[in-house]
Amino acid sequence: MTQKTEPFFVGYLKVPKGLRSFLLMASLMFVGGFLAASLVIGATQDDAGKAGFRFDYGRQTVTGVVELKPYPLLRVTKGNDRIAVGHTLMLTGGGKAGVMDRATPLHGKLATASGVILERGTLDMLQLRGGKAGLKAAEGEASIPTSEPLGKWRLAGEICDGKCLAGAMQPGRGLAHKACANLCLIGGIPPVFVSSKPVEGSEFLLVASADGGPMLQSLYDKVGQFIELEGELERRGDMLVLKIDETSIGLAK
Amino acid sequence: MSVKYIPVQWNKNKWWYDGIMLFAVVCYLWVFIEITPHILNHESPINAQVHNARAFGSCAFLMLSVILTIGPLARLDNRFLPLLYNRRHFGVMTAFVALAHAGYILDWYFAFSKAGKYEALLFANTSYTQLLGFPFEAFGIFALLCLLILATTSHDFWMKFLTPPIWKALHYLIYAAYISVVAHVSFGILQDQQNQAFPILFVVVACAVVGLHLLAAISERKKAGEHEKSTDGWIEVCATSEMNEGYAKIAKLPKGDRVAVFLQDGKLSAISNACAHQNGPLGEGKILNCLVTCPWHGFQYDVTNGRSPAPFTETVPTYNLAVENDRVLVDPEANQPGTFVEPLVLSKPKGGS
Repeated sequence: MTQKTEPFFVGYLKVPKGLRSFLLMASLMFVGGFLAASLVIGATQDDAGKAGFRFDYGRQTVTGVVELKPYPLLRVTKGNDRIAVGHTLMLTGGGKAGVMDRATPLHGKLATASGVILERGTLDMLQLRGGKAGLKAAEGEASIPTSEPLGKWRLAGEICDGKCLAGAMQPGRGLAHKACANLCLIGGIPPVFVSSKPVEGSEFLLVASADGGPMLQSLYDKVGQFIELEGELERRGDMLVLKIDETSIGLAK
Repeated sequence: MSVKYIPVQWNKNKWWYDGIMLFAVVCYLWVFIEITPHILNHESPINAQVHNARAFGSCAFLMLSVILTIGPLARLDNRFLPLLYNRRHFGVMTAFVALAHAGYILDWYFAFSKAGKYEALLFANTSYTQLLGFPFEAFGIFALLCLLILATTSHDFWMKFLTPPIWKALHYLIYAAYISVVAHVSFGILQDQQNQAFPILFVVVACAVVGLHLLAAISERKKAGEHEKSTDGWIEVCATSEMNEGYAKIAKLPKGDRVAVFLQDGKLSAISNACAHQNGPLGEGKILNCLVTCPWHGFQYDVTNGRSPAPFTETVPTYNLAVENDRVLVDPEANQPGTFVEPLVLSKPKGGS
């Protein structure tokens, strides 16, 4: 309760002398506190690692065989200085859109793909240019190279959308990014499992359903979580594909 | 006080208040957005949209926390009362900062798909049955809606239109908004943090808000508890010797209301402790120019009839008083707001100046 010795503040009157120094100190502490908090919060954000669109590489144009399962891939047969023959490229459209519609007519055929590379370590993806400039049939005959089965594996890690993970967004994984990742996957972007330990030399595995098709929608709930799962692994060129056994998934301990 | 509604009744103190608040917010955002990227020095920088969203989001959380600490601080120490004066403007500022945060999130994480961004916000993550991966955006949407409702209805016009009790009840949404913000952060960004600086700061600030409210509640309970003795249904307020000229003693009544008993010119008068404006504690105010002055926003009342001076029209209930054995007693049944009650003359005014 206010005592008669205490200064009494009324908003539309002059601030009593006895309160001025206190209010000045409170104001300084308030501004100082906000400055300090900004520095602490802003300067301690986690490093999401080196990744992103490689516009510095310039436009990349390569030829290869188009494969649709589990997601549109290009098995490179004619590369360039940066993309070697035998490399398997994941393909994506602009924004949160896959390229299944554009790739379907070219399944099992030679095609020329052109666009910009996204890259995080050994993981890369080609974002195609629009229309036929991005993906068109190429002359010649070819067949989809065979895959090498690598057996059943039990792994721990996280399902991400391959595009944000490869650097379309920084950061591009984790639970805070889950809705964005789901939206990408709904749009047809290839999902990638990031293993907590490297598997056959890679920590990035393209995700497929148990039958080799696209990831089941029921797994959207698991995106961004640290999970354990089992699946059949196979090598396609230099890419590993994990056919997930959906019944084996649980939270990692 | 006013008899007509204008957007803001500016005065020098309000300019200072808003200026300091705005300066702190601008400093926060400037340091976060312009300075910290150079300190971070990441090889691949955080996307500007994400960085900005974090700047505005964390700023809104801190602003909301400050807003919620002002009340209990003022209850614990009267010197903080001036911070209550223009708190509404800071609240409106918070709503705009939170809106900017939402804008950055929508235009980044929920853009670039075939679906509309608002639609995508609702369907992209529907894992409502699990804790890990819970759509924490829902908490953010709720908090933002609360803040926008509070900001929109913050003007006195709405208080008059809705009536103070309904307006006050509506503005308790601030607590729902804060809880929702805490959940939004806890189920969202905190789940991915490697560096523990922000989580620690977040927990400390949230605990400070809760702790100060508990402390203030305990303190008020102790104060009110001293006056609950009754004689023949009337409530004992204090000894006459405890009354100070120009000030009040507050007593809690059986129905939970509080009464403020003032001593003016050696005479006792009692009015409701709740200001008609925003339920401010009139008993913690002071008599200035023969009028009880609310410590929150300076609304004034004639202590003998609970009426604001003309041309103002606010009224508060009055109470009947008696003095027995040098003890001040109050009838717990309130008179109609604005009812005149003859002041009770004390035989020997105490503490007069």
